[in-house]
Amino acid sequence: MRASAPTEKNRDRPLKIVTVTISLIVVLFVSSKASAQQKPKPPGFPDAPGKETLMSKCFQCHSPAMWMDHRQDRKGWEGTLFRMVGRGALWNEDEIKAMADYLGAVYGRKPQ
Amino acid sequence: MRELVARYLSHSISRRTFLKGLTASGISLTAARSILDSLVPAAHAQTGEAVKIVEGSGALCFAEQLIASGVKYVFGNSASEDAQFYEALVDRPQIKYILTPHEGPGAAMAAGYVKASGEPTIVMQAAVVGLVNAMGQMFNAFKEQTPLVFYSYRTDQTGRAGRDGFEEVANQEGIVAPLTKYSWLARRADMIPETVRRAFKAAWTPPYGPTYASWHSDLNDERVRTEVILREKFDPRMRVRPNPAEVERAAKLLVEARMPLMIVGDEVYGAKAVPKAVKLAELLGMPVTQARQIYASFPETHPLWVGALPVGRVASLDYPKDPDVVINIGNKLQHNSPTPMIGRGPKFIDMRIDSWSMGNVMSTEVPLVADVGYGLDDLTAAVEHIITPSFKDKAAARAQEVRKFSEKAKALRALVSKNPDWDRAPMIADRVTWEVAQFADPDAIIVHEAGSVNLHGFNFDPERGRELFYYYGAHLGSGVGTAAGVKLARPNRQVICLVGDGSFVFGPTALWNMARLELPVITVVYNNHAYSGPHSRVIEKVPGGRMVQTGHFFHDYLGSPDMNMAWIAKGFGVEAEVAESPAQLKAALARARKATVEGKPYLIDAQVARMGVAWADKPWFPRK
Repeated sequence: MRASAPTEKNRDRPLKIVTVTISLIVVLFVSSKASAQQKPKPPGFPDAPGKETLMSKCFQCHSPAMWMDHRQDRKGWEGTLFRMVGRGALWNEDEIKAMADYLGAVYGRKPQ
Repeated sequence: MRELVARYLSHSISRRTFLKGLTASGISLTAARSILDSLVPAAHAQTGEAVKIVEGSGALCFAEQLIASGVKYVFGNSASEDAQFYEALVDRPQIKYILTPHEGPGAAMAAGYVKASGEPTIVMQAAVVGLVNAMGQMFNAFKEQTPLVFYSYRTDQTGRAGRDGFEEVANQEGIVAPLTKYSWLARRADMIPETVRRAFKAAWTPPYGPTYASWHSDLNDERVRTEVILREKFDPRMRVRPNPAEVERAAKLLVEARMPLMIVGDEVYGAKAVPKAVKLAELLGMPVTQARQIYASFPETHPLWVGALPVGRVASLDYPKDPDVVINIGNKLQHNSPTPMIGRGPKFIDMRIDSWSMGNVMSTEVPLVADVGYGLDDLTAAVEHIITPSFKDKAAARAQEVRKFSEKAKALRALVSKNPDWDRAPMIADRVTWEVAQFADPDAIIVHEAGSVNLHGFNFDPERGRELFYYYGAHLGSGVGTAAGVKLARPNRQVICLVGDGSFVFGPTALWNMARLELPVITVVYNNHAYSGPHSRVIEKVPGGRMVQTGHFFHDYLGSPDMNMAWIAKGFGVEAEVAESPAQLKAALARARKATVEGKPYLIDAQVARMGVAWADKPWFPRK
């Protein structure tokens, strides 16, 4: 569907919403490697399988710092990625699996 | 006497002169008045369709001008100083008055009616105190370019104005100036119809927008004799054809383009020009997208449809990645970041009637100021005139390439149901959306005011299928009212209102209108007891900050106690239930269908999980 709340950062009024919450990853999916390459590589993303896929898909809109705030297990990350599909992300299952693997490993649950 | 009657009926003499003439010929004043009264209907009829002389209270003349303006419904909230207007309505069944218990949802209902019917209406409030309640929806109408006329009197009478009296504020009509195309204070009672005409004319002259008319309350009571004019004679019905030279330039650019891209917008839907947009796209084998607007203005099942702009910029599209010519057909192109929606690379053709907005941000190669219906006609003809058989092969090959992408995208979008949380309760929002999309009639109208919920699976097709009424202005609380107005205008279509819990509690009063008027709308509230959008956005602005570290978010959690939207609905006379799980939602939708078939509205409070960064199971919230 059309663009929604996360793109409207200047809104003064709370944009009540529903779930979907844009967790961190969220909204912005550019599949072009060219676009990703134009940006400096964000810190906090160690090399590991799935990283390149993540870098090419999510960083047009999302600041890297936001990622640091969220920890969840692989299943949680997978759910987040599928919610991005609901927001219009065009990813195949292999790409989602690769990104969920990476995020589950790098941004998994903090040790208690 | 015969000559006197003829002169009166032809408006050669006034009412007073007519009476004088009769009494001078020996007829008593009482008898003369009786004769005059008997001639009034004939006098009105004599004036024909164009101009009618009316006599009575200022408010009666107001009502007569509304009838002449084509108004069938008036949306209002109780206003004591409109007594003479209500009195006039008693004998004017042409106008139906809809009492709305709050001016905001009332104005939203009126806006929904205008959008769905294309018919004029007016919103009435009590003085400035009611006006300020309606102004949120006036803002929406301004942003969304809805031709909606607002009226409220000044409580202060002409003889006591300026004394800071009850409900008096200086420059009442000026308060709305930044949100309206026209606002005016009628200075005399006989000027009321003219002021109303101008308000309708300005609202309905493209680009559309809200207008405001006002006058001192005593003018409603004053007796006057004045003109009322039919809409056809004051509405310019402006439809503009584009400059032919610019049309030729645009056609050449499009035909010579390696990869053209079309953006559609609300003017296409408004001009009923969707088939024309499809025709031009097919002629050129051109992919089509849409930036945020109210309506879906292109069939989403069409193979040339490549999806909406993910973040409102052409560069964010998955396909095509490198259009060299972009044509906008009637989209307002709302910019929400400093980056232009269309980069400086592609040549840009901008076709819309809203000339004020053209060229403000984008570098525009070809401006086509036009009614987009005419504009598409002319541009299509110009393209047809210059294309060759070899171009047709090129366009067909490009269309095939676009089709490959759109089929792939369709398959990828369907993956939404593979979410590992798909069957959980409370539900994920995508599951609610998916269930409603499965349930909705093939030609349902979806009114959507659910903040960050992106709709999927509806396959909107404004010509032959489902229609979308999204929100664009974002003063919240419009959804329920809009849905009620849409149902009033389109009684034979299923109308489903999708609304977030936060938005819902800003404007539930229109549920009462649904119940009273038997407007069988199905309302689904995505209820996660939170403002999730603002929750995520503050984290984006202050990542890793104290809020995240402590979990102390002041602004987002609406639970403890949880609001029960079903109880709210029942309080307004609407049957309702809470659905926690997908199975309960399915069953609830079935009951909703049964209710609506019986002519009754229904509400489902769908319990949705809070998902995302830093949501605790039991969120902290500020206490006293």
